[in-house]
Amino acid sequence: MKYPEELQYTKSHEWIKTEDGVTLVGISDYAQDALGDVVFVNLPGEGDEVTAGEAFGDVESVKAVSDLISPVTGVVCAVNEDLLDAPELLNSDPYGAWIMKVENVTETEALLDAGSYEAFCAED
Amino acid sequence: MSELNRTQLYDVHVAAGATMVDFGGWEMPIQYPSGIVAEHLYTRHACSLFDVSHMGRLLVAGPDRLAFLQHVLTSNAAALELNTAQYCIISAADGSAVDDAYLYRFEEDRYMLVVNAANTGKDLAHLNQALKDYDCTITNITGDYAAIAVQGPKSKEILQTLSDGGTLTEPMRNALNTLTFAGRPVRIAKTGYTGEPLGYEVYIRSQDAAWLWNRLIELGAKPAGLGARDTLRLEAALPLYGHEMGLDPSGKPMPIFAVPLAKFAVSFSPQKGDYIGRAALERQYAAFRRIMNREFQDMTDLPRRIQPITLLDRGVMRAGMPVYRNGKPIGWVTSGTMVPYYRAEGEGLETVILEETAKRAIGLCYIDSDVLEDDQVEVDIRGKRLKAVIPPYHMRVDAPPFARPILYGLEASANVTGSGNRAADALNLLRRAGENHHWRQKLCINLIPSENTPSRAVQLLCASDPAFRYAEHKKIKSFYDKDIFYYQGTAFIDRVEQLLVEQMREFLGCTEVETRTISGQMSNMATFSALMDWKNRLDRKHDPRRLGYILNNHIIKGGHLSAQPMGALHDYVAIDPVTERHAVVNFPVCKDNIYRIDVEETKKVIAQYRPELIIFGKSMVLHKEPVAAIRQFVDEEKIPTTIMYDMAHVLGLVGPYFQQPFAEGAEIVTGSTHKTFFGPQRGVIGVNYQKEDLKYGLWETIEARAFPGSVSNHHLGTQLGLLMAAYEMNQFKDSYQKAVVENAKHFAKCLKAQGLDVAGDPATGYTETHQVIVSVGYGTGPQVANRLEKNNIIVNYQATPDEEGFTASGALRMGVAEMTRFGFGKAEFAQLAELMADCILRNRDVSGDVERLRAAHTEMQYCFRDPQFQAALENLANQIAL
Repeated sequence: MKYPEELQYTKSHEWIKTEDGVTLVGISDYAQDALGDVVFVNLPGEGDEVTAGEAFGDVESVKAVSDLISPVTGVVCAVNEDLLDAPELLNSDPYGAWIMKVENVTETEALLDAGSYEAFCAED
Repeated sequence: MSELNRTQLYDVHVAAGATMVDFGGWEMPIQYPSGIVAEHLYTRHACSLFDVSHMGRLLVAGPDRLAFLQHVLTSNAAALELNTAQYCIISAADGSAVDDAYLYRFEEDRYMLVVNAANTGKDLAHLNQALKDYDCTITNITGDYAAIAVQGPKSKEILQTLSDGGTLTEPMRNALNTLTFAGRPVRIAKTGYTGEPLGYEVYIRSQDAAWLWNRLIELGAKPAGLGARDTLRLEAALPLYGHEMGLDPSGKPMPIFAVPLAKFAVSFSPQKGDYIGRAALERQYAAFRRIMNREFQDMTDLPRRIQPITLLDRGVMRAGMPVYRNGKPIGWVTSGTMVPYYRAEGEGLETVILEETAKRAIGLCYIDSDVLEDDQVEVDIRGKRLKAVIPPYHMRVDAPPFARPILYGLEASANVTGSGNRAADALNLLRRAGENHHWRQKLCINLIPSENTPSRAVQLLCASDPAFRYAEHKKIKSFYDKDIFYYQGTAFIDRVEQLLVEQMREFLGCTEVETRTISGQMSNMATFSALMDWKNRLDRKHDPRRLGYILNNHIIKGGHLSAQPMGALHDYVAIDPVTERHAVVNFPVCKDNIYRIDVEETKKVIAQYRPELIIFGKSMVLHKEPVAAIRQFVDEEKIPTTIMYDMAHVLGLVGPYFQQPFAEGAEIVTGSTHKTFFGPQRGVIGVNYQKEDLKYGLWETIEARAFPGSVSNHHLGTQLGLLMAAYEMNQFKDSYQKAVVENAKHFAKCLKAQGLDVAGDPATGYTETHQVIVSVGYGTGPQVANRLEKNNIIVNYQATPDEEGFTASGALRMGVAEMTRFGFGKAEFAQLAELMADCILRNRDVSGDVERLRAAHTEMQYCFRDPQFQAALENLANQIAL
């Protein structure tokens, strides 16, 4: 299981990375492993407002559906449309396959660094 | 919480890294590290293993076992023969399901009922409640044996390795067998829950379970968990108790007839008496029949049915989601997910399954019974209404060895259409017909055993004037059975037909012949129709009774279509009220040579069923049929029956080099005149009844079922051609028949020497007929036959007696008759065997060599060729301007 140092994590297993005022959001390696094969992703629309702690979409595995929880409040400025046709990218490359980019971020959930997140997952 | 049960394979799953979950009180693998999608796909293209040792297994034994099962199950357990299994439902009094189950009969005196793991306790309580009136016992034997499902197109090959290449089971679904794998006893069933056309479930002693599992993995199978088991069964639209059976999402019991499989699982045979739920099921069935006829006024007894559903918008359906039509709620999704599949390209037999995969959101739903196939509906997916449709099915398994996904909306390409310019198309037709004639007659080596090229004399006669005429005629008693013709201008053809009958009587060695039927199949239909009419001759005031029992060769064992219920027997064979199937039994075949009838076993079958009709004859035929032995047996045992020999393929071989059916005891012979016989495409019926015999009346009925029963116009051109063919046959049969049988044996020997896998018994030279059968590898028959065609060798691919159907064919069927007639002898067949081996085994282009071999043999043998005959032939050609 990988926990890249340069990312930050939520307890609901999303990762975020902020570059030049834009926040990338994805799901962690731990999350994809627990989900199993991801077969569909419900993405938000560009321009949608997302709220920290609330669902911004969902991810469907063969077995079940799980909400995606936004770590930030802001406006979606891009979604990863590759995931529509290849949702399995979330399994094969969870840290490359970002799900959405958010700008005008006004609020952020409590985040964990890689070490704390790994410890959190170990307890789970 | 009580401790979870573990199967004999628990440690194996954990060691393989499986994710274990609680499933119905059992700790089971939901998936292995490769994941559900990979496991699903591997099942569809290769072979997966599923631990199904958790499934509840109940042993039912004791004197009343059958009566008990008839009372608690919906199926007709009396129809279950030894070494077969059947799908069934344990019914509740209200016509809903307590559980669905599979009933296995591995042993004469006991049954094994396999039920859902989570329901085992509930089922036992229900069954024990009903047991008190019956002298039998139910024992829970779940833990006694491990059970491993081995599913997928490679399952047969893999399991065969363990059985030392021996037959696993009969190729039919639900066949069972008891055998050993490396000395370990196993019970094997051709059953499964993946929809795979090739799939087995193996029961093995607990201590051998891990050994078998690991051996299967060494041989190329991979483990799959309950996750893949669920997506596979969903794609195959197989119901799961708790989803498609039991309670609906609103908590109401679902009627059993809501499930399409109920049609097969529910019997109303009188044999079953008043079983649990029967009255409710009869009401459901009445509603089901109305619904199938689109009479939707009263759907009270079956308001909703389980149907497949395909999501058209992007998303995933899940169990419990509401379904709407035109804004109104019509039911729920009962199972749904995203299911992977392999993409395919090409069409028909040329379809190639690609490595590329995709996914589709499909499900099953429980919706109003008036929803039709192709209806558009909507599914509420977490507040969003997404478009969906009711497809006919998600998958088909009628082209084994693969289960094939059916993508909604995809259609086969349209048929060929004309250019719109009829004059140009007409011109083109001539050109193409000429090319085709040249190719088949000058370039190709034709080895289709049901074909022959008639001589030029036969061909010319077929095209001469009677070809356009009618000559209906009928015997009239007032004129002492003289044939009376209805039209003028028929004196010539009248004479021809009489001469033809004379020639055919001589050839067949019988008393009477009918030549008006225009195909072998029609000959059989006329005969079956006559047999049925004869059976009912003394009672014309009731619906006529059909024929039954009938003993024939099973189609998979080489039986001819025209003697099967799906073929010419269709309208003439009874349904056995006990088995609720066609009243047909099949000749048992020898274990060491599946192409040969086992005479001793056949006698037992005859004694048991006392068939009123015995039909010999096959379309995949290497051996003589044991007519004399069976005639002797039925005479000694005084079993009233009619022995018929459908000589379709071997008609031209009647004689001392093959069989003389009437001398051996057949009463009726049918055949087609264009396979080993020299004729154009027609049929013939011969009988050996004397005028004073009771059964001479049957002969007269056969004549009446030929005309006016089957034909009004009996194709006079080919009847004329057939007379010439009969002259040729009676003149040249001694040398022709000898050459055919010798050539076939030599061809088989040479093919074997070339390294090909020739079927049959080497002790008899592999064949006693014109046919040679070569195995080229399971499922590869169509592809090899196609390659041979590209090399100008025309054969047909053939499923052997242990294969599932024509798309799974692993053999080529060849006949030497046509090329023998074009003068091929041993040297030519030896050369041909070499060319075929080059083409089949080494994929070498031999088309040029084949053309050269053929070019040297285009002149017809075994026909009249003297100068006087040639001159008359040219004269005729000029007269009819051909």
